[in-house]
This record gives sequence, C-alpha cells and structure tokens, in this order.
Amino acid sequence: MSTAPSQLAIEVDTVGASPGGGAPTPARRVISTLRRSPAVVLSVAYIVAVVLLAALAPVLASITGWGPYTYDPEAINADLGGIPIGPLGGISAEHWFGVEPQNGRDIFARIAQGAQVSLLIAVSATLVTTVVGVVLGMVAGFYGGWADQVISRVMDFLMAFPALIFMIALLSALPAGNRPALLVIVLSIFGWPYVARVIRGQTMSLKNREFVEAARASGAGNWRIVSREVLPNLRGTIIVLATLAVPGYIGTEAGLSFLGVGVMPPTPSWGQMIASAVGWYTVDPMFFLIPGTFLFLTVLSFTVFGDHLQKALDAGDAA
Amino acid sequence: MNTTPLLEIEHLTITFPTGSGPVDVVRDLSAVLDANRTLGVVGESGSGKSMTSLAIMGLLPSTARVSGSIRLNGQELVGKTDREFRTIRGEKVAMVFQDPLSSLNPYYTVGLQIEEAYRSHRGGSRRAARAVVLDALERVRIKDAARRIDHYPHQFSGGMRQRIMIAMALCLEPELLIADEPTTALDVTVQAQILDLLAELQQETGSGMIFITHDLAVVSQVAEDILVMKDGDVVERGTAEQIFSNPQAAYTRSLLDALPRIDDPFEELRGTAR
Amino acid sequence: MVLYLLRRILSALGILLLISLFTYAIFFLLSPDPAVLICGKTCTPERIDQIRGQLGLDQPFWVQYWEFLRGLVAGRSYGDGPSAIDCAAPCLGFSFQTNESVTNMITSRFPVSATLAIGAAVLWLLAGIGGGLLSAVKQGTWWDRGAMMVALGGISLPNYFVALILQYVLVVQLQILPFPTAVEFGENPLLWFQSYLMPWLVLAFAYASMYARLVRTNVIDTLGENFMRTARAKGLAAPLILRRHALRPALTPVVTLFGMDFAGLLGGALITETVFGLNGVGKLAADSIAKNDQPVIMGVTLLAALFVVFGNVIVDILYTVLDPRVRVTSR
Repeated sequence: MSTAPSQLAIEVDTVGASPGGGAPTPARRVISTLRRSPAVVLSVAYIVAVVLLAALAPVLASITGWGPYTYDPEAINADLGGIPIGPLGGISAEHWFGVEPQNGRDIFARIAQGAQVSLLIAVSATLVTTVVGVVLGMVAGFYGGWADQVISRVMDFLMAFPALIFMIALLSALPAGNRPALLVIVLSIFGWPYVARVIRGQTMSLKNREFVEAARASGAGNWRIVSREVLPNLRGTIIVLATLAVPGYIGTEAGLSFLGVGVMPPTPSWGQMIASAVGWYTVDPMFFLIPGTFLFLTVLSFTVFGDHLQKALDAGDAA
Repeated sequence: MNTTPLLEIEHLTITFPTGSGPVDVVRDLSAVLDANRTLGVVGESGSGKSMTSLAIMGLLPSTARVSGSIRLNGQELVGKTDREFRTIRGEKVAMVFQDPLSSLNPYYTVGLQIEEAYRSHRGGSRRAARAVVLDALERVRIKDAARRIDHYPHQFSGGMRQRIMIAMALCLEPELLIADEPTTALDVTVQAQILDLLAELQQETGSGMIFITHDLAVVSQVAEDILVMKDGDVVERGTAEQIFSNPQAAYTRSLLDALPRIDDPFEELRGTAR
Repeated sequence: MVLYLLRRILSALGILLLISLFTYAIFFLLSPDPAVLICGKTCTPERIDQIRGQLGLDQPFWVQYWEFLRGLVAGRSYGDGPSAIDCAAPCLGFSFQTNESVTNMITSRFPVSATLAIGAAVLWLLAGIGGGLLSAVKQGTWWDRGAMMVALGGISLPNYFVALILQYVLVVQLQILPFPTAVEFGENPLLWFQSYLMPWLVLAFAYASMYARLVRTNVIDTLGENFMRTARAKGLAAPLILRRHALRPALTPVVTLFGMDFAGLLGGALITETVFGLNGVGKLAADSIAKNDQPVIMGVTLLAALFVVFGNVIVDILYTVLDPRVRVTSR
C-alpha cells in the first residue's frame, strides 16, 4: 500500500469516507488498531505476565517455598563440581526452572526477583529521561535563543560521549551504595538527550502552526500555550519514545550487569544471572538460556509494541 | 486531415479495492481530444481527475482495476503491460506534476534528470543529449541555461523548477502533454507566467494538452473544452464558453459562484468573511 | 569549505577536551587513592608519600590535569633526577597494575579491535543493506516478513546471549569450531579465522538487523516519493529507476549511521571481546575497570571518545559530498 503515490491514499480516503457514524476518538482508534494485531496482543500479554511475575515475586517464593537467596545443597551434586542434579539444569516440581550450579539457588525465584530489579530500573530511567527530555526539549524548542543554545550544546556533548565505556568507568568508580539507583541516574544522564532532540524539533515546528498563533493572538500566555496547545500535540510522540526507551534501558542495564558494574550479587538481575552462567555454559546451558530468553522476550515485546504503536499513531496523523 | 483523434477515452472506469469493498474513483468517463487542443478537467481533490491522467500514463497502482478504453492515435492503452507503457511515457505522452520540488530528485542536477529522459528513449551520446537539454532549458526561458544546467533542484525558485519540469516533458516532443495542477503550488504572478509558457509551447509544437485543475479561473485561460468531475463522475462537459455562460449542473454553478468577479462590489467583503 | 572544516575540527577538539576534563575529574574525586593501590600490601607511609610525589598526586587538581594534558601533547617525565621515568607523547601514564605504558598497552591491542570491527562491518553492511533492499522491493512477501522477523530478533537479542548460544551450539555440541584462542594470523591462518568467525557473526548480526530495518524503511519511503513517479513518467527502465533514483536517497542516511557505529567499535567492543576472550581494546577496558586501573581506563575512554568525535566530523564532511542540499548551506 505504501508504494502507491500519496495522492491515491488521499483520494481513496475521501471517496471511501463513511458518512455519519461518529468518528472514534484517536485514542480509541489506535487501541482498536493495535488489538487487531496478534503480535501486539501476544507482546502485551507477555509484558503483563512479566510485570505480574515481578510484582508477585515474594508471593511466588512463598508458594514454591524457595526464595531468591536460599541455598539448596540437596539439588546439586557436590561430587561433580556442584552441577544441578537431574536433566535440564535440575528442573523439577520443586524447582520449576532448575537451580544454579554450586549453590543450588532456585532459578525461578531469582528470575522473578530479577524481573523486579530490571523492570524497576528500566521504568524509572524511562520516567526520568522522559520528564527531563520533554521539559528541556520543549524549553529549547519553544524559547529558542540562548536557552536553546545551551541545551543543544549540552545534548551534542552528551551524545558525542562514548556512553557505554563512560557509564562503565563511572559505575566502577562509584562506591557500592544503592546500585539500582546509581544505574537509573547514570542511564538517565546519557538517555535524556535522545528524547529532548526529538521533542525540540517537534516543538519548533508546532510553535509556528496556526492553532498556536491563534492562541497567541487571543492573548494566551507562554505557559498556557505550552500546556494547552504544544504538549497535547506531543503526546503521541512522547508515548512512543517512552515505550521504545524501556527495552533500550532493559538491554543496557543487563549489559552493564553482565559486565559486572551494574546490579551487584547477590541481588539478581537477568544480565547479572547470564554473567554468572558464563563459566557454566558448557555443562549447564539452562543456566544462561532461561534468563537470556526472559530478557530477549521482554525486549522483543516492548519493541514490537512500540513499533506498532508508532505505526498506528502515524497512520492517524496522515488521515 | 486525419480522422482518428489524438486521444479517445470511452467508458473509462477505475476501481480500487478498499477495506470496505471496491470503490470507483472514476466512473464511465468518455472524452475526445485533438492535437493542438486543450482539454480542461476540473474538480476537487478526490474527484478522480488525477486518476484519469495516471491511467493514461499507465501509472496507476497495481491494485487498480481499469475498464473501458483509452486510445492514443487509435492505439489501445488499457491492458498494456508496464514494459509496453514505457515506450509511451515521456516519448508520446509527457506529464507535468503539481509540486515541482518533490517531483525532482534532490540528489541529481536538473541537467541529468532531463538528459536521462531523453537518452532512455533516443539513446545517443551524453554530449548530444546535453545539447538537447540546453535547448529545452532555453525554450522554457531559463536564463543562463549553460550554467544552470549543472545546478540542483533546490537551487531554483518554485516557478523555475516548474519550467524545468516542462523542459523535461517537452524535450522528447510528445504528442500529448498532461499538466496536473501545474500552477497550484506557485505564486499568482508566477502562475500566469507558467500558463503563458505552456500556451506558447503548445503553439510551437502542436501537441494536445490535458490541463487538470481545481481552479475554474485557471482553466478558463487555457482550455477550449472542459470536463467537470465530482466524486468520479463527469457532471458537466462542453466548450469553455458554454460552461461559463450557461452552466447546466448545480455543482458547476457552485464552482462558478465561488470565483471572484471583478464587477462584484462585495468581493472584498466576502473575501474576508470566508 | 576550508573554514567549515576548520570550525568542525576545532569544535571536535573542544568536546574532546571537555570529555577528558570530566573523566579526569570523576576519577580524581571518586576513586580511592592511587598511591595506596600501587603500593600494595607491604606498604609504609613513607613509600606512599614517595609515590605521591613521583606521580604528582600531592599537587592540586588543576595542576595534575594540566600535567596530564601536557603529557598527552608533549610527553612528560615522572619524578626528577636519575630515577625519573620518561613517558613520550602521547603519554597516558603507566598502568597501576603492570607498570606498562598505557599508550603501548592500547596500541598493542588495537589491531585486534580493528580486525573485529572491519570483519563485522563487511558482514553487516552486506547482510543489512542487501537484506533491507530485498525486503523493500519484495514488500509484503514471505521473504520480507521472514527477514524482518529475523531482524526484530537481532535487535532484541543481547549479543552476549547470542554469543553463548553460538558457542554452545557450534563449539560444544556440534564441534564445528574450536574454542576461540588468541592467535596471530601468521601463526595459523585457519585457526585465526575460526577464532574471529563467531565474534564477527555475533557483532554483525545485531548491526545487520538494525541496518536491514532502516534500509527497508528508507527504500519504501523513497519509492513513495513524487520524484519516483516523475522517473516512471519519463519512461525510464525499472532497474535504472531503482538504481539511480531510489538507492542514493535511501542509502545516504545509512552512511551517517555506519560512520558512527564503526567509529564506536574501533574504540573497542567491550562485551563481544570479553565474551570471546579477544585481547582487544574493549577487553583491556573491561579488565582495567575490574582492577580499578585508572590510567588505563582514562586512556581507553579517551581513545573511544577520539574515535566517536572524529567519526562524527568525517561523517559530516562525507554528507556534504553525498547530499547536494547540505553542500550549499555549509558554505
């Protein structure tokens, strides 16, 4: 369809426009578009499942009887270097996802606990970068002048930074303290410019649109224009940016934890679990396959959802 | 004189499948155009006027269903393959589009973009083609053409870009020129220049022209015959004079009423009220 | 143009200077005393003072930073008299752990990172651009859907996870490849190739997926442009339309992305090098971070920044050549 000249879409649309039958609100239209896609439904279902897993981690631990930090020497074979007893990394009715080699901690409990840690970090970093990015992006785009100069320079500087190496260096130099909070701060410092850049551009173009000029002509102040005219028009963009930021931060947090500078043991995070599985991958592949699969599916689900959301919102703009 | 007209369209219907069943964007359209004449097609966006021109060029999307007949010099165009259409596009029928900036590729010089049109039909060396291009640019009154030939589209003004599109269309001396809203994106003064240029060039080459527009004022300056279209149907046809002096369809009358008239003392008032 | 170039290079140097200042300040403020680290377990207060004096650690921050910069440009020597240690420009100091010159450590490991980056880049450009193009042209077909599904997986799979799966399947289970080892090309070309093959594939998979998605979107967008309709209306042959009118507009943005990605990789692929035990700059960075070896961390951070910042400059210059619209405004 997209190969057709743009003119066609317009002509067919006007001809095919249904008379009467009140137009659905944009939000409802987007949701009904999304619900028709099986990929989106599956992604959302998976995300909900992981969120429940994270939220109910303590409850689940009491049901299975195994917490994330409990050792189970019965489940491992001390004579064979501590590999889990039984096939597939010791999967059994007692240990649903098997146990860790050497200490026998329950992988299911650690996955649930890890989901909590990983999601908390990613969602917090997304919130912080979105708020900071939207505010600074709008200030730069709306006021221009020296405010724009300063903010744009800082953004250029942060985006030119070799972020990963620097994050690692910074995290390794920082004292242990509250690791998840430190991760959120470090991820946010390097994350907000990517939000602000998009918001700045869109604000600049919105600023000159008729409805903003009309509001200005009718005597609305800057604050009123920004909150009533500009911000509502950025809503779609902000939602898409935030949705696509979550998998990015989940991946980065996992990468940092994998390298040993993120979440510190014994606190589990999926990336850190994979890191501890590296030494065991030849004898106990389930140890890295389980957290890896959870990580992969979570990033995938958020990406699929974000992609489709963006498409649905774009289609709404074109009509 | 040859009895076959340059272009003969009979019972042309164009249908698109959509989510809510097939939609006719053009219904049962018939028209005849002779060389040296101009047919104006008037209608709002969505009336099917652009679809008609794309059907003549064979440029409709592959999902479109076309029935009826389009004959160019007696040769049937409906049902031709894309490959067969290639010898017609540019060579026999050329087209000038609405937005000259987006219709030119920003990555190549205007010289190259005209040259490739010429060479893909006539072949020959780049040198020979360049001479043709230069001549075409001079014919559309591009000043300093020898230097401008190596410039990129963004280095020209809107009116100049449309002149380049016209030069591109004319370098192969087509028998039929389709101008699809060629002046809509331009300032009023530039509009008049482009219309004059088109009329002048038509005089020189003797080609037929289909002039598509939503603007009755513009079409009155260029066309001898006029079709008025609405929602895929032809609602009125006749000579320009008939249509302006004695419009039959209510839709045509509403279009005429919307035109500003010089003897109307309230024109300015109404203009601000709109 | 010359003026533009000069301005661009100057601003790049400015950013580098700022990055070095930030990095230096963070280590100065946050790290434990390097003298204690160097001194080790059998240490006396006198010995610590001596080390501090020799390294200039007793000086205020700005003096230390200035000495560091001077060392980078002109070289410096630690301590005075006959016991002074010379460090030729560009001097990044000496490792706290091994006493090796940081500059030497980096230059000796750089070829590994470059080999990894170049090999992966060749693979991902071929697969990414080829796959994306094919998907765009065959939009909506099974090929397109399949390729985009694989690409979606590629951007969602963490590369260390792919690395572990690949190693487990190819090395442990199927035994097609040997365990990766650090071997020079001259010693054993086959083993060298086999050792790099998995890192290349893992790195290329992620990038190729991203590029395929980008190229597909760009080509489809370009095919919908008005100038494509003009090209068809002129009666050009389909292959010429695709080659000339669609490819160049669609692929020009890829140049920017590639410049940045490749420059980033030259500064070391931390995770891939660590997982496969490749002794490149990335692994050096990871190792020195684990050991809190500040001069080395400082060195690799600056090297990575150098590549990213100058990669940016090169991309900007390339863009003025590739996109005629940029060419004129930059004058």
